Amino acid sequence: MKVTIDRDRCAGHGLCYMVAPDVFTDDEDGYGHPALAGELTTELLTSARRAAGSCPEQAIAITGEAEMAAG
Amino acid sequence: MVDGQGSEKISVADLPIAEDRDAAWRMIRARGRTVDLGGEIALTDIETVETAFRQPAVFSSMKAFEMLASPLPLVPIAFDPPEQTRYRRILQPFFSPRAIRPLEAGLRRQVIEIIEPLAARGECDFVAEVAGIFPVQAFLTLFGFPLDMRDQLIVWKDAVLGLVDASGNTALEGAAAEAARGKAGELFFYLSDLVTKRRGVAGDDVLSRLLCLAGEEALTDEEAIGLCFLFVLAGLDTVTGSLGFGMERLARNPVQRREIVDDPSLIPAAVEELVRLDPPAPFVPRVTAKETELDGRTLPAGTRVFGYLAAANRDEVRHPDPYAVNFHRGDNPHASFGIGVHRCLGSHLARMEMRLVYAEWHKRIPDYSVAPGAVPRVKWPQGTLGLEALPLVFPPWVAR
Repeated sequence: MKVTIDRDRCAGHGLCYMVAPDVFTDDEDGYGHPALAGELTTELLTSARRAAGSCPEQAIAITGEAEMAAG
Repeated sequence: MVDGQGSEKISVADLPIAEDRDAAWRMIRARGRTVDLGGEIALTDIETVETAFRQPAVFSSMKAFEMLASPLPLVPIAFDPPEQTRYRRILQPFFSPRAIRPLEAGLRRQVIEIIEPLAARGECDFVAEVAGIFPVQAFLTLFGFPLDMRDQLIVWKDAVLGLVDASGNTALEGAAAEAARGKAGELFFYLSDLVTKRRGVAGDDVLSRLLCLAGEEALTDEEAIGLCFLFVLAGLDTVTGSLGFGMERLARNPVQRREIVDDPSLIPAAVEELVRLDPPAPFVPRVTAKETELDGRTLPAGTRVFGYLAAANRDEVRHPDPYAVNFHRGDNPHASFGIGVHRCLGSHLARMEMRLVYAEWHKRIPDYSVAPGAVPRVKWPQGTLGLEALPLVFPPWVAR
């Protein structure tokens, strides 16, 4: 599973790193970025989903969830 | 697009904004996702707001603010990309969470100094004595202005904000308008003088640092003054308005209030929820730069549209039971700070200010109510909404 932020959509609201500081971090300008070096673990999935749901720009995507469920 | 209730035309003036905002948002949402308010189109639904605000080339901010006829460039709110992108790139580092964090301790001390004398008294007008002054002090602190400018700045910005109504039209006439324009002029001269004096002088405050930018990022005097002017107009009354609305909701919802008293870690979620319910700038203007389609309507070039953010925040799918105050929503993707490239630059500062006020207030004054007989009303018509007064009563606090 991977979590990504669509840079064209992100407007720097800052909710992702506020609600899910374990998954996202902020840069100098206040934009959010995934804080994880690699894959999103199941432990962090709830947190990542919450951030995705909080994003006013709907800029956060979580991919590969179905494969995890299947696998 | 078909109006849901009644075919008779309504205008902004028919909405009961002064007395009952929830009723006003219900009323306009019942009429459809886009509502014709006598020539201007209200976007009442989150999807239509998103569609419009994500096309800044079609739904222009520049054209929308031209009507204000500001003598100054209102940087960056009255610009479209790519100029707007440049201003944002320059300004964002000054307003990011990292940049403002060092201010927190000092601002917290200011909040405590404001609240403690009132807490001991057992009653106050929350708007005049807390919400109306702390955001002004925060602005003065950020910009390195002397704190004793506070009351003068309040007089100036009240006069300027009184000049325009919710549709951006002139709200005053004759002598009153003349007096307000005089005050706007005084504010302009104060800011110009300051910009001239600070230019080239090193300092830690935002204005000094902005004026020290070089090369492509360098701002002209005119741009810097416009920027200061906009911060005064956008950054003060909005937080004042939000705090007043938030405290009224808390005063009237003792169960939710108890939750943040018992568990202050809920305060950030409470800030988001209270801002979702009562955005202080709920009418965000755009003007179409060319003919376009929205919600099945054909909008000719030059059509004024307004994003009705408070209505959009009451979408049942994104926010189940949208009229309820709920600090446990988990996710709360409200539009109160705007959507798209013009997202509120000061949102992180505004959140910090609200968080500090709610935290320090409830530590000392956990139980309070709106003074018996008082009916808090909103100043109306005005583009930025806020309560005129919020008289609160509570058991006097005794310092330990």
